Amino acid sequence: MRRALLGVLAIALVVPAAASAHATMKEATPAEQGRVETPPKEVTLRFDQSVVPPADAIVVLGADGKNRAGAITQSDRDTIVRAHVMGLVKGEAYTVRWRVVSADGHVATGVFTFGVGVEAPPPTEAVGSSGMTWRDDVARWALFASLALMIGVVGIRLLVLPRVVDPRVERRVHLLGTLGAFLALNAGIAGFVIRSANALQVSGVDLLYADLSPFAESTRFGTAFMVTTLGFGVCLTILAVAWVLDSATLRWPAFLLALVLVWGYPLSGHQATEPNSTALGEIADWVHLVTAMLWVGGVVTLALVVWPLAPDLRRAAFLRFSRIAVVLIGLLLVAGTVVAIERLPEVADLWQTSYGRTLLVKIGLVLVALAWGGFHHTFVRPRLERGEMPRSVGRSLLAESAVAMAVLFAAAVLVNGAPPPVETGSTSAQPSAGR
Amino acid sequence: MQPRAEIAHWLFAGGFLFVGLVLLAEAIVGRAVFRHRAWRACLWPSLALMAGSWLWLIAIFSTFSTLHLVAHSVWAQAATAAGAVQLAVVRGRLHSQYWSLVTAGALFISGASFLVHEQNGWLFARSAFLHHLIGWTLVVASVFPLGEALRPRRAVWAYGFAATWVLLAVMLFADRDVAPIFGHLSELAGGRP
Repeated sequence: MRRALLGVLAIALVVPAAASAHATMKEATPAEQGRVETPPKEVTLRFDQSVVPPADAIVVLGADGKNRAGAITQSDRDTIVRAHVMGLVKGEAYTVRWRVVSADGHVATGVFTFGVGVEAPPPTEAVGSSGMTWRDDVARWALFASLALMIGVVGIRLLVLPRVVDPRVERRVHLLGTLGAFLALNAGIAGFVIRSANALQVSGVDLLYADLSPFAESTRFGTAFMVTTLGFGVCLTILAVAWVLDSATLRWPAFLLALVLVWGYPLSGHQATEPNSTALGEIADWVHLVTAMLWVGGVVTLALVVWPLAPDLRRAAFLRFSRIAVVLIGLLLVAGTVVAIERLPEVADLWQTSYGRTLLVKIGLVLVALAWGGFHHTFVRPRLERGEMPRSVGRSLLAESAVAMAVLFAAAVLVNGAPPPVETGSTSAQPSAGR
Repeated sequence: MQPRAEIAHWLFAGGFLFVGLVLLAEAIVGRAVFRHRAWRACLWPSLALMAGSWLWLIAIFSTFSTLHLVAHSVWAQAATAAGAVQLAVVRGRLHSQYWSLVTAGALFISGASFLVHEQNGWLFARSAFLHHLIGWTLVVASVFPLGEALRPRRAVWAYGFAATWVLLAVMLFADRDVAPIFGHLSELAGGRP
């Protein structure tokens, strides 16, 4: 019976592969995200192997959403697919959506843009792309929560806890920090794929074979994805080595590198792409993000590491974190206010736009978290200073951590949302989706 | 500005060959003699850990399909996990023999990812054939660390594990050209009808 099962498994894995052959697009004319000075007469795609094009293999869309592509032809042993185009004019950008069938039956898809006498917009702004969905919000929240573990827990270990601690505390900090790095990498990949899928307008198996390279190479969020993925990979390795060698000092380079890498998010978000963006806004966004990670990470460290594992350390850790938390919250509020003023030029935008309303929800959650922290600061801290140990502080810290996670979710929705348009001189700029 | 795929493959093949020869040396002379110098025990786990870091570089340049991006990130994570755990074992931070199961799992998952990420059939071209073979080699080779966990100290596990890396290196060195396999090259890859 066991042999029969193994045989069936082997055949199931070998046979489908024998019939498959999947194509990859190697070159496009006009080039992906390229600029041409005269309207092209045709759009040509070259694949690494022959493909079968459906009738709508190449669709060329103008800003009005109308298809300019005509008949499809093939050449060079069916590796080149060509669409004749008509009605293209100088001064406009166009979106090319392509779709071919490989010999294995899998559908290879892709999207890119090109400009005629103008710069091509990023592929995220291709005609037909959908905006952010709840999937983007969940991926962004997972990324923020992971960063709170990696940056926050490791940072608080380095900045707040004494040099020598109980080995169990050290082990759990290692575990949470490394887990945070693993999760940040995977959440980053998920976010990148989901964001690309919104523009590609594909899902399921088609998404597995979709070409993501225009998004990686021609968008700010793609560049941020590449740099942060590589950097967090290095952070993961350093944290793993720190765990193996039981070295707290080795965590410093991972922590500092992660702080620098977080800058990738302000540089690829609204703070860099909106017409009224300033360097101050980018710095404020980075400070806002880093202080939030450290604050959330601090609460999580107290709730999941210090309270359950090191009763002797509770008082000292709580008091030291309280002092740092005051500074963190101050910076967090100032930086958040600077960012909010840049993104919402009118006070009425707070309740008249969806971005503003999301910000109000986030502010409400932050106030709940601050009130919780204030309660700890005002009532728990004096008792700890007197040498007492209130019973329910551990549970209260867990609840505060949950509120902090809710704040991060609101922040994720806000980051993915489009702020209201900003008046710049005589023109009104539209919110940018190309991050 | 992407690096050529050959360079990455040959770089990893070189690393695998070195790891295979180190492990083969350990299997031949015996663990006690080989690990007379403590750093020698750290060689292959350290290289696995380093390979994990390098694989992220490959992953970010593998965006020509979602499948390639995900497969490379799976290999990066598997190499990091196996390297770190094995390094912790040789450094005495972890003690149970069952930690070898992490290496077994990493090999199995890496092999499965290899099989899934190769989009062409066995006889499509030489590279496709070798990709399938590499995938199956990794899946089958997970038996060696599994055996080390369940029946430790048997020479067969050490020899098998070492030979796996040498074999993988040979296959990786040879898998980049569009060339026929057993005289066959798919029409789709430019072969004659």
